[in-house]
Amino acid sequence: MSLTEIPAFARADGPDKVSGLGRYTADLTLTGMAHAAFRYADVPHGRIVELDTSPARAMSGVVAVITDADVPDIYLSAEIADRTLFARDVVRYEGEVVAAVAAVTPEIARAAAAAIVVRYEVLPAVTDIEAALGENSPLVHESWDSYATSGDVVRDRNTAMRSELHRGDADAAMATADVVVSGRYVADASHAVPIEPRAVVAEWQGDHLTVHTSTQVPFDARSRICETLELPTSRVRVIVPHLGGGFGGKCGAHFEPHIAALAKVAKRPVKLVFSRYEEFIAPDRRREGMIVDVATGVKHDGTIVARAAWLGIDNGAYMADATFFPQLAAMHVAGPYRTGSLKIEADLVYTNRQPSGSVRAPTAPQACWAIESHTDEIAVALDMDPIEFRRRNLVATGDVGPMGQVYDEIGALECLELATASAQASADQKPLGPDEALGVSMGWWPTFAVAAGAFAKMHADGTVQLVTGGQECGTGAVMTLRNLAADELGIDPELIELVYQDTAVAPEGPGASGSQTLLNHGRAVEVASQQIAAQLRELAADHLEAAPEDIVLAESKASVAGAPAASVAFTELVERAGAELLGTASVEMPEYPELPTSSTCIGDQGMGAWLAPQFSCHVARVAVDRDTGVVRVSEVHTAHDSGTIINLMGAHGQVEGGVLMGVGQALTEGTRYDDEGRQRNAGLLEYKLQTIADAPSIHTQFVEIATPNAGPRGAKGLAEAPNVATAGAIANALAKVIGQRVRELPMTAERVWRAQTADQSSTTTEQDQS
Amino acid sequence: MTLTIATSVDQAIALLASGARPIAGGTDLVVGARQGKAPLPDQLVAIDRIAELAELTSTDSETRIGAGVTHARLMTDGLIIERHTAIADAAALVGSPATRNVGTLGGNVMNGSPAMDTGAPLIVMGAEAELRSADGTRRVTMGDLWTGPGQISARDDELCTSLVIPAGGPGSGSAYVRLEYRRAMEIAVVGAAAAVTLSDGVLTSIRVALTAVAPVIIEIGDLDNLIGGAPDRALHGAVAAAARDQATPISDLRATDEYRRHTIGVMAARAVDAAARRAAGEQIPVPVNRSLGIGAAQ
Amino acid sequence: MNPSSPMSPSSPMSQQINLTVNGMTWPVAVETSRNLCSVLRTEIGLTGTKEGCDDCECGACMVLLDGQPINSCSYLAAQADGREITTVEGLADGDELHPLQRNILSAGGVQCGFCTPGMLMSAYALLDRNPEPSIEEIRIGLSGNLCRCTGYARILTAVHETAVELNGA
Repeated sequence: MSLTEIPAFARADGPDKVSGLGRYTADLTLTGMAHAAFRYADVPHGRIVELDTSPARAMSGVVAVITDADVPDIYLSAEIADRTLFARDVVRYEGEVVAAVAAVTPEIARAAAAAIVVRYEVLPAVTDIEAALGENSPLVHESWDSYATSGDVVRDRNTAMRSELHRGDADAAMATADVVVSGRYVADASHAVPIEPRAVVAEWQGDHLTVHTSTQVPFDARSRICETLELPTSRVRVIVPHLGGGFGGKCGAHFEPHIAALAKVAKRPVKLVFSRYEEFIAPDRRREGMIVDVATGVKHDGTIVARAAWLGIDNGAYMADATFFPQLAAMHVAGPYRTGSLKIEADLVYTNRQPSGSVRAPTAPQACWAIESHTDEIAVALDMDPIEFRRRNLVATGDVGPMGQVYDEIGALECLELATASAQASADQKPLGPDEALGVSMGWWPTFAVAAGAFAKMHADGTVQLVTGGQECGTGAVMTLRNLAADELGIDPELIELVYQDTAVAPEGPGASGSQTLLNHGRAVEVASQQIAAQLRELAADHLEAAPEDIVLAESKASVAGAPAASVAFTELVERAGAELLGTASVEMPEYPELPTSSTCIGDQGMGAWLAPQFSCHVARVAVDRDTGVVRVSEVHTAHDSGTIINLMGAHGQVEGGVLMGVGQALTEGTRYDDEGRQRNAGLLEYKLQTIADAPSIHTQFVEIATPNAGPRGAKGLAEAPNVATAGAIANALAKVIGQRVRELPMTAERVWRAQTADQSSTTTEQDQS
Repeated sequence: MTLTIATSVDQAIALLASGARPIAGGTDLVVGARQGKAPLPDQLVAIDRIAELAELTSTDSETRIGAGVTHARLMTDGLIIERHTAIADAAALVGSPATRNVGTLGGNVMNGSPAMDTGAPLIVMGAEAELRSADGTRRVTMGDLWTGPGQISARDDELCTSLVIPAGGPGSGSAYVRLEYRRAMEIAVVGAAAAVTLSDGVLTSIRVALTAVAPVIIEIGDLDNLIGGAPDRALHGAVAAAARDQATPISDLRATDEYRRHTIGVMAARAVDAAARRAAGEQIPVPVNRSLGIGAAQ
Repeated sequence: MNPSSPMSPSSPMSQQINLTVNGMTWPVAVETSRNLCSVLRTEIGLTGTKEGCDDCECGACMVLLDGQPINSCSYLAAQADGREITTVEGLADGDELHPLQRNILSAGGVQCGFCTPGMLMSAYALLDRNPEPSIEEIRIGLSGNLCRCTGYARILTAVHETAVELNGA
């Protein structure tokens, strides 16, 4: 059976999920289990002047109350060690955990958390990105210069990290332009919103800790527990039951250490289950708000000669994982175009808001929305068709990326042609109405890779266990690993059992983050499977009296090439071996493309060269109710260069989900804050996800070109890329209908209405080059 | 706390007199308690199994909708769609299918929210609420019942048993439209109901009421000067202007006062347009929001 | 222990009720303030019904009450006394998945699976009252169930395919 003949999607966890019998973390109950509740800061910036937990301790049914005083004195976060598990002296966002309570019921735990007395000296809240950079702004972290940092962290006052991307002399190049178009774009923060709110169950047996948790990154969770509670890795086991979605929102700090510490004190298992409100305010994960100020100089023929930009990115109160945001966002603002000279500066700014962290394609949807809006505005200023303008400037094989990477085979142009042709064909069939338009946006996203391992076992009954450190968060990427192994071994994927959610048995891996599951674990699975296949061939060669290289493995049988009639079953071969067949693979991080030494970037976080970059084009068909500003998206046509598609149904599912999340970001999903940095719409009525009644039809094509440096069978990642381009496409269609640009994201009905009543055009300056 | 499942109006009234609060679908009460807005009352009486409250009856001159009739029934009932189309329009937009299955008209009315969808249709149709207590039965108009946001003039011992609505005459039509950011799971940002009567293409009556632009749902006053005219663009414009003039909206998470004032005019004009078209015999399926693509819905 | 829930300020009292769940009657003592979702998940041990929000906005907790879908997170268990409740665990016929369960899986309408039980209950109730729904009717019928993974396309396909399958027999 070849890979393409393997059933479209053998979703091993499917029956569990549709029957309701599968267990998610919140479904677990352990004997004697207590329930946790947190006391949050509520005050976004304040100095703790009194913290009295005695009222909670006095309550009947309370089994543990802990604060900063009860855990090791450790500052955490890998990049800037700027926080402690529980608030110490100063609170810096409303959802910061001040204390934790365990009690025999969730209701008592919540009541006890509420009974804790905390008084603050309220400090001025820093909530505006630009004001925070001013000399006179209060500081979010007064003693930041004492924090430990790792790597090349460039920071100052409220600047948590700064990156600058320079190529050529942008000022001089800009002066040679025929037309300079400049504009400002402001994106609100948004949220990942997995439908499962997070849950953690921690249990000690002696000095060994087991944590069941809804994390996307079990090994990262284990590291953080070990780091903050000063435990050896060997005594901590993290198990992830079924995981109800993540989208990055369940990476990073996940409250496992808090619950483990509570369980230690309570001397019984403790369970935490978040409400939706907590899911909004507490985690160190939200999609960062962003300001993009950009100017681009072009020639009349569409040649881009220079781009200059400043980006302000809202980091929130603490460093989650965002030090790479400025560099990555700057590269996105450079765009997938041949942009001549560049001068892009990006500041990641501390504020008294919830920390920002990697949510599905961090920084890209906002930066892409801004730059693709800008791209259409340039085309308008040149009186050029936006598709033609892109066609002339898109990067192609052999072109140079923003940091000097020379692209190998890439399919950006193919994506543009396929998606626009699909949308146009649909519009030819059903002509656009007077309030409708098509809008185009390009997108791109890196392919990340790290080292990974895999174990494989073939049992005497011919079934296989595949053990990896991958984590299934819904994408199906782990499920797809079965297809690779099945192909290597010549067996039905149904015979393969996946073991992937237990740090005690699996080799370490990056988990469900960075679209890496197939790329990393897939490489390891191939090698481990090949090891077993080689053993099968050796055993069969002996039995069939042929050379191992002539042995064909198919349908759980081995035969000699050209003589399929004489075959031997795998079960018999394993029996002959006298023991199960084992494969053990550890694959290294692939080599990234080299960068020219001449590239200059301040605050380089290693984003400069991308392994097998992914390109995409989305085209949205949009209708506008001009009187109210309400926008509906009826169709989205996409084309993705994500390398070889291993599992077509799973791939379509990733694109469709990413597109709908993009529609939400474009139109209805934006977090609102009060003046002190508290979220005002931390609930699903006022933070509006798209419903099935809103969902557009989505038409996807995959551009499968042979990409060097890609993963197994030429696959790249695909979980994040579909979330990049949709908002930009909607923005451009919307602007065509109303003749005005909406400069804030989400482009809510009211913002669309306002854009129609006030001119918000970009500044276009004609420069005399005669 | 306790919950008693009542099986008759008399039983429910007796429990209300002793301090219990009524619960039907619980969509307001239980959600409110979960969000910490107000704790659940100490004594509850479930009224969703009282057969009398689920009755929907009619005569030539009026329709009587039991307080326990659900939104799901209102949006599909032939008589309501025929006679009181705006109520069906509104019921079809409430929350989600699950909310519509348990949420009741009486629960809506007695919750007194200025954002309720069924309120404006009840006003423009001249509905009255029938309130029963140990002291007897009385009827109040919607305008007299709703006194402020979440405030009603009914006493705690009074149970709303039904809504009584005069049957519209020949040539009458009604519609409810609302502004919605999504096509489902919405709460009114603003909304408007209209009921009109046409005779030989000329307007002989018009009533328009507005949702979520004042502390209570309000009826637009001084529309009588429009009677005698045609249901044309000028009429829409005049209604929109009157709606904007008489609305006193606030700014909140969902919209600014300025945007509400603008869109209430749009919704009022659209409601009048749809109502007049229905009065002229055009079949516009319920809910008009989805049939006409209000908010570019198609 | 003396729980004091934010849901009920006074001391709680238990009520003895009978819940008929997936055809089996369970006598349970519940505090009046307890919602049906919580009772199903903890007292009766059926955890297929999920909880995803605080306010009837996501539909993960959807069950059928006398055949009608409701959000069990915001429905008092005591109010369901004596009524028939169907949860996702009640859809399959023994080991045989209901066609909706089978089709949502084969169409690719399941990713993380957390919205799936509620989605299935909505779809089941929809097909029960409207065996031949149009695409628009399916959209409206499932509009109370939020899914973050799939973009809904394959869920829509699965429900449509099931209607055709059930009618075409």
